[in-house]
Amino acid sequence: MQKTLIGLVILGIVAAIAVAVNTLDMGGVTRQRERREPVDVSIYYGGEKSALLGNEAVRRILEHDYRITLDAQKAGSVEMATTLPVTGKDCIWPSNAVAVELAKRSGKTVLGEETIFNSPVVFYAWSEVADALAAKGVVSEKDGFLVADVARIGALIESGARWKEDLGVNVYGRFKISSTHPAKSNSGNIWSALLATTLNGGETPVPGDLPGLLPKITDYFAQMGHMEASSGDIFENFLKQGLGARPIIVGYENQLVEFLTANADYEELIKTKIRVIYPEPTIFASHPLISLTDHCKRLAEALVDPALQRIASAEHGFRTGLIGVENDPADIGVAALPETITFVAPMPSAEVMEAVISAVR
Amino acid sequence: MSGKATARKKAALLIAIVALVAFVILGQIPGGPRTQLSIVSGSENEGLEPIIAEWAEKNRVDATVTYLGSVDISREISKGAETDFDAVWPANSLWIELGDTQKVVKHRESILRSPVVLGLKRPIAEKLGWVGRDDITIQMIQEAATAGAFRLAMTSATQSNSGASAYNGFLYALSGDPDLLTMEDLEDPEVQAGVKSLLAQVDRSSGSSGWLKESLVENPAAYDAMINYEAMVLEANLALETAGQEPLYIVYPANGLSVADSPLGMIDKGDPDKEEAFLALQKHLLSPETQESLVAAGRRAGLIGLSASANDEIWNPAWGADPDRAIAPVPTPSTEVIAEALRLYQTELRKPSLTVWVLDVSGSMEGEPLAQLKQAMGLLLDPAAAAVNLLQPSSRDVTIIIPFNHETQKPTVVEGGESTDLAAALQRVNTLEAGGGTDLYYAIFQAFETLKPYNEAGTLFDYLPAIVAMTDGASDVINREPLLSYMNDLGFGRDVPIHAISFGAADEAQLKELNQETVGRLFNAGSDLAKALRSAKGYN
Repeated sequence: MQKTLIGLVILGIVAAIAVAVNTLDMGGVTRQRERREPVDVSIYYGGEKSALLGNEAVRRILEHDYRITLDAQKAGSVEMATTLPVTGKDCIWPSNAVAVELAKRSGKTVLGEETIFNSPVVFYAWSEVADALAAKGVVSEKDGFLVADVARIGALIESGARWKEDLGVNVYGRFKISSTHPAKSNSGNIWSALLATTLNGGETPVPGDLPGLLPKITDYFAQMGHMEASSGDIFENFLKQGLGARPIIVGYENQLVEFLTANADYEELIKTKIRVIYPEPTIFASHPLISLTDHCKRLAEALVDPALQRIASAEHGFRTGLIGVENDPADIGVAALPETITFVAPMPSAEVMEAVISAVR
Repeated sequence: MSGKATARKKAALLIAIVALVAFVILGQIPGGPRTQLSIVSGSENEGLEPIIAEWAEKNRVDATVTYLGSVDISREISKGAETDFDAVWPANSLWIELGDTQKVVKHRESILRSPVVLGLKRPIAEKLGWVGRDDITIQMIQEAATAGAFRLAMTSATQSNSGASAYNGFLYALSGDPDLLTMEDLEDPEVQAGVKSLLAQVDRSSGSSGWLKESLVENPAAYDAMINYEAMVLEANLALETAGQEPLYIVYPANGLSVADSPLGMIDKGDPDKEEAFLALQKHLLSPETQESLVAAGRRAGLIGLSASANDEIWNPAWGADPDRAIAPVPTPSTEVIAEALRLYQTELRKPSLTVWVLDVSGSMEGEPLAQLKQAMGLLLDPAAAAVNLLQPSSRDVTIIIPFNHETQKPTVVEGGESTDLAAALQRVNTLEAGGGTDLYYAIFQAFETLKPYNEAGTLFDYLPAIVAMTDGASDVINREPLLSYMNDLGFGRDVPIHAISFGAADEAQLKELNQETVGRLFNAGSDLAKALRSAKGYN
């Protein structure tokens, strides 16, 4: 009997809400606001943006403010621009500026492209490792941030320096910087580009430099053994498995910001144990939204919405830098980032990167 | 029908609908129907089951955990979405990468870490001068074991991750600590000879890390040293001290060291309820509170680094536990090198096994049980089928088959892994017929008799000897006493483990007694005899 009564109450509430909703709709209240037709947008995106697209506030902006029903599927940046069929996709959102060129070269109809935000490639190192590299003159402090001379890193790699014997760090084997697989994942791919530039005497390599460069690059990556396929995985393994397994890795600047946003309890430990080192030069991972159909326009508009850009910067550590959008690293509560990155190398051409990718595959 | 009656009926119907709706809604209020979550895990996580059980109870999830060796977990993953399990928790990511050819494992995250170490009885460690040292190499361990300073136990490299990790470390150390282990290192005859002689020192083997630890705790006198996870040595020490036994001293090898990363991943079957339950469980395991309790259970946890807390009782410095020690593992070789190393282990380098299979063909085995038995023996004796499961016999293995009912038949002996010899043995197994009574004790006596010549020639312990009894019915006990006193007088009767694989109605008390007498293990064939057989074989 009691259940029936409660049931009636529940039913009453449900009915009241239904009537209210109906009335509101019938009254045209919602239509008084300028609402657009809903749109379905189907995309491939690079895994670095998983957390951003999973952010509740971002989803609200997309769904509520722009009425976008987003069907987002994760894929490799190189893959989505080249071999992956894109039938039915409205946009692709890789993490690499070269992908625009690669997409055009592989015959895709590119209606437009817009860089949504950037994140420079950085090194993450355990503090003892950063200290040891500083003692070797490879790493130094500049305006309160650590920077690494990539030319000296290249020289250290070429000299065959060893962790224990030459750097005094209790780590197995030869000095190397761990990265993801350059043919599979974007951060590894950008690192291979940076390495190629370094081994080319600091000049961005052109096709004519390849015969001399490729053997050095393949030799370096053959020494790596097993390499992760995702930038998220290598960052997690770097932190969890400790100094001995991965003394220093290649990652994106925004990864640490995202980690600290999600794990505020670890802030102190991170500060004492982990160092962010900015390579000089570095290469930016750009995140161009490439339009394949007209449906992509709405998403492009939504992604540069100031509110969304602010979340991307403050909670996910991406550098937005669009005109009219405040992009002050001081907004990021959890980690201090340098205001500007001045020493940036360009990505080599798509042709050069294709040769590097197929050599290390 | 009058309008009034219709109205009343309508009212009654409305009340009934409302009652039904209310009942359904109320039924949902406590949290809805329970979600089923079936997890397959390495046996080293068995001690953590209460953490999962407590979470499951609070969250209305029916979580079941099945414990398998790493190779079996890898096989499960290779079934893709067809596997019965919803989540996998092997000791190392490697086994997911080797098995996940269909890319079904999602949300993989390392839950805890544990290095593979040598646990050694402290008086022996003291005698060797190894206490408080950080420069003990694999080569020194090899020398000491070869000189007879201790008996060494480890798990099978082709069945269990701790064995595979230790073996990988041996290969690195004996190849002269290369930056990366390559095919050329594996082909080097000197490296092969070195690893073979190190593996020849293994006195007891096991198919799983958790069972090796349990066996040592239950039979401390049968062991001097084991290679296992740091967490297993610490767990063993708690139990050993409680039982008034000498704990083990932890030696972290200075070279060839490996670390288990214990990843928990979900098998993607497109079920959002399971996914939600899985993610909630994973989040719970990675929460600061649970991570702290993992550290208190002897695991290295937390999201940053490999350090652990010295405040917890389990990280006892007197046991050699060193939570602050820098752990520098060897790099993981490429997948092709790993696959070749495992093949080499199984066919060339491991200590050869001498296994006596005692097969029950009494009347009650008629039909399905005998068919299963034949199928399972086919898995061992058909080289192609054996290779799939990394069970292939090496050229040095000896396989003896003794069928029995109330009488014991003549043994078939196969020396080596020649396919024609194996085929002939399989042919005999396939023609076996069921009938008669059961006298397991006499059959085991005969099994020992076949081992006697090896013992007299002094070669028995060049092998890992074992007797595996496969039986479905309670045995006649007339020969029980004579067998036990024969084993006492034999000299090596307690040094050969008697494992048993039981079918349906087997008298497990009888089998357990034999297992305990010899530090063997009982497997229940259950519905998958082949799997039980693989487990039993893993201990050889």
